[in-house]
Amino acid sequence: MSPSRRKFLQSTGAALVGLSLKTDQPMRGSFVNDSFQQGHLLRDRASFPPPKQKLKIPIVIVGGGIAGLSAAWRLHKKGFKDFILLEMNDQAGGNSRWGENEISAYPWAAHYVPVPGPKAVYVRELFEELGVLKDGKWQERYLCFAPQERLFMFGRWQEGIEPAIALSQKDREQFQRFEDKVHEFRATGKFTVPMEIGLSDSDADLDRISFSDWLRQQSMDSKVLRWYMNYCCRDDYGATSDQTSAWAGIQYFASREPEEKGPLTWPEGNGWIVQRLLERVGRFVRTGQMVHRIAPQKNGVSVSAGDTEYLAEFVIFAAPTFIAPYLIEGLAPLRDFEYSPWLTANLTLDRIPSSYGGDPTWDSVFMESPTLGYVDATHQSLRTHIDRTVWTFYWALAEGSPSENRQLLLNREWSYWKEAILHDLERVHPEIRKCVSRVDIMRMGHAMARPKPGAIFSAEHRNLRKTAGRVLFANSDLSGFSIFEEAQYRGVMAAEAALHKMYSDAPR
Amino acid sequence: MGILLFITVLLIAACGLIYELIAGTLASYLLGDSVLQFSTIIGCYLFAMGIGSAISRYIDRGLAYRFVWIELLLGVIGGSSSALLFLAFAYTQGFQLLMYALVVIIGILVGLEIPLLMRIIRGRYHFRDVVAHVLTFDYLGALGASLLFPILLVPYLGLVRSAMLFGILNVGVALWSTFLFANQLARAPVLRGISFVALCALGVGFAEAKKITIAAEDNIYADEIILARDTRYQHIVLTRFKDDIRLFLNSHLQFSSRDEYRYHEALIHPGLSAVSVPRHVLVLGGGDGLAVREILKYPQVETITLVDLDPEMTRLFSTHPMLTALNQKSFLSHKVHVINADAFPWIDSNTDSFDFIVIDFPDPTNYSLGKLYTTAFYKAAARHLSVQGLMVVQSTSPMFARDSYWCIAKTIEDAGLRTYPYHVYVPSFGEWGFVIAGTHSYSPPTALPQGLRFVDAKGLAALFQFPPDMAPMEVPANHLNDQVLVRLYDKDWKDISH
Repeated sequence: MSPSRRKFLQSTGAALVGLSLKTDQPMRGSFVNDSFQQGHLLRDRASFPPPKQKLKIPIVIVGGGIAGLSAAWRLHKKGFKDFILLEMNDQAGGNSRWGENEISAYPWAAHYVPVPGPKAVYVRELFEELGVLKDGKWQERYLCFAPQERLFMFGRWQEGIEPAIALSQKDREQFQRFEDKVHEFRATGKFTVPMEIGLSDSDADLDRISFSDWLRQQSMDSKVLRWYMNYCCRDDYGATSDQTSAWAGIQYFASREPEEKGPLTWPEGNGWIVQRLLERVGRFVRTGQMVHRIAPQKNGVSVSAGDTEYLAEFVIFAAPTFIAPYLIEGLAPLRDFEYSPWLTANLTLDRIPSSYGGDPTWDSVFMESPTLGYVDATHQSLRTHIDRTVWTFYWALAEGSPSENRQLLLNREWSYWKEAILHDLERVHPEIRKCVSRVDIMRMGHAMARPKPGAIFSAEHRNLRKTAGRVLFANSDLSGFSIFEEAQYRGVMAAEAALHKMYSDAPR
Repeated sequence: MGILLFITVLLIAACGLIYELIAGTLASYLLGDSVLQFSTIIGCYLFAMGIGSAISRYIDRGLAYRFVWIELLLGVIGGSSSALLFLAFAYTQGFQLLMYALVVIIGILVGLEIPLLMRIIRGRYHFRDVVAHVLTFDYLGALGASLLFPILLVPYLGLVRSAMLFGILNVGVALWSTFLFANQLARAPVLRGISFVALCALGVGFAEAKKITIAAEDNIYADEIILARDTRYQHIVLTRFKDDIRLFLNSHLQFSSRDEYRYHEALIHPGLSAVSVPRHVLVLGGGDGLAVREILKYPQVETITLVDLDPEMTRLFSTHPMLTALNQKSFLSHKVHVINADAFPWIDSNTDSFDFIVIDFPDPTNYSLGKLYTTAFYKAAARHLSVQGLMVVQSTSPMFARDSYWCIAKTIEDAGLRTYPYHVYVPSFGEWGFVIAGTHSYSPPTALPQGLRFVDAKGLAALFQFPPDMAPMEVPANHLNDQVLVRLYDKDWKDISH
């Protein structure tokens, strides 16, 4: 396509007088990484051609996100190499997938890991292996550079996301009371990462009510406090505080040390970890392999993907658990697994827009917005001079029902979402349209597990968390929420269970 | 009447050339790169003259009347051009647009002058005499103007008043022509009236030129600007006041040629002279080549690798005569390898080892520069030190930014190095601090290269003494994930300005 004559005259004319005409950038982009078409084949019980070949392999891992890759990492580390990992998408990584353009690598979803506490032993083990933790010290370059976060409120930026400016006496008192409460919960030792270690039935009551209700019970009605609590639920669970269990809301705060320095992050987000894992276990990974049938048999499990039927002794099911009833013969439908629809976008910026004062940070959040703001991919760059960048924009469609939001996500065109995103950014960067040259959007109908009241302590969750039988469940959604440490823990535990069973079941 | 007519030609030729020279000089002053500015301005001007000449054939009535008008317009536009350009540079973004517009308008008008004049007087002489005389005086006028401009006009009148003066002359020509061509002219009194008004306006401009320049320059810099350039990375400005050349990067003073030797001798010699056989030296930052000039005083040094972000900067200091005189053409030495790269990623990926590393970055005024003062950075740098190697770090002022200075020292220490802080007095900076660091112990050298103007071996030990108002402070180290230094630095300088 040749540029129009008028455009040509405009640009050469402008070049002659040494001026550039300040117009909005032409903006390109599309939806990327769509995977619902394949998923819907399973949902709609499409028929798949019969397998052409049969392969015997002791362990099949289904799903190549953090849980599946961590299971593979564990098996490999234990010296077990007779397994295969089947991933539906063309790129492994799941919620930790990443992309790269001429400016920077960037995340498609999960983009950080909080500095792991002492109980997250497998995360620490992995990070020691990757050189992130060295001689008991976290590598400086992997800790999020300062300044880390900022919040746009009352027409200006403040450093940090917890509202701190223009608080009333009442706001301050309630924040303090909340902090004291969190301190108490933390001291019980029941809110841990991974959650399984501390989980106690005595807290089941907290899981029955919503986080909003709990705050109401505590007479915490400060608007800014409520905004912050709601933001935290949207950020980690993709749900509002009305839709989140009080247990999960408290877990968000009480499971972490208050004085942690971090988080750990990379330009491509947790895609950095995926790449390191793939360096180790990539040869066991088969991408573009959608499993369409899992059938438990007398002495093993049959797993069908593409033209192959794998005959395995054990299956580690690391894909999102809600898919399981569509794949596994004999598994009853699941009721307590709910997921939040999300949208992420990567924006290519040919120059850095101005804002209302404030130094650029890693994470930027706007108070008066339904979105979660954006993260700057070049923030972790060691370079001192950065004139172009990539922003990852996060939007959990939290308000309203997930199924309706999923329809919205599917039915609206790219330009609708692009406009919505730019409109949101315009509140803090008025000249954003002059800076962005590309907007790529990833739609995820079932992005993150949603810890709705009652889910975490439900019989469904509890049962599937037990690594029993020949199909071992490993997705982080078993914990009730999708975070890196839960995924890694469940992957490792499933691998351990498979090895244990295999060697204890073996004929002597 | 003949000679008077040809003096008119001489004057208008001079005026035209002066306007062109003024545009070229102003653009070189304000934008730098005089070759580019003069070439494009002369090109545009000559081309516009061609347009003027071409247009002249479409004028077939009232030649004298139109000639007077052209002179009037030239006088007013050309006379005020310099003032307009100064003000446009100081207060608007459209300097270049206005400059080329003025050059083109003036060029077209000047291109019209001579053809019209030749046709006006064609009846009075033989054609070949007209051509010969007009062109002779035209070129004579150009010679006069080109000699007057640098020798008298710029030094004694300045650019604004020179333009005004020649504008007055130009309007004078208009007025004068109304008498010269009175018999071919209708409405001569009206033209005389207008000429008189224009003369008065330009006269006022000439008298008040100082105010215009002050208004514009107050908005620019104190001293004469000999170069100003926006590179991809920074805004480079060189100023000169008598023999003092100063370099500003993003309006922060980098050196003054009067006392930079103090800074650079102090930066290099206490450390480098203590390395027994320095063969390979690395300089991070220092794109002015002044540190390299000091390093070249050690014949044992075989290679000097200089990593500076901005290729424009190292190119300027390799080619600009005034600047290579300062750094004694240090970049032209065969020992020097210039690498234009961002320092942190470079040092992170490079594997060479060096006997002496000079870290001479701008002060940590923002979070980007702050990355270059972190434990992560010094650890990466320390991996490049040879067994006997030392490094020296420019560490801001222990007097004006005492917390920052000791924070840098603490950061280097936390990166696992022994530190030896010292300070010197540089008049244009005030008290300035450095830190020598290495994996082994350091003691000041007993001998230094010949011919130093500031640092001497006897006085070295004293540089490592800090009086109470600069004494060490308890401050945290600086890390990528806290950047305490940028906050301290900001606070230090704020405290001073209050």
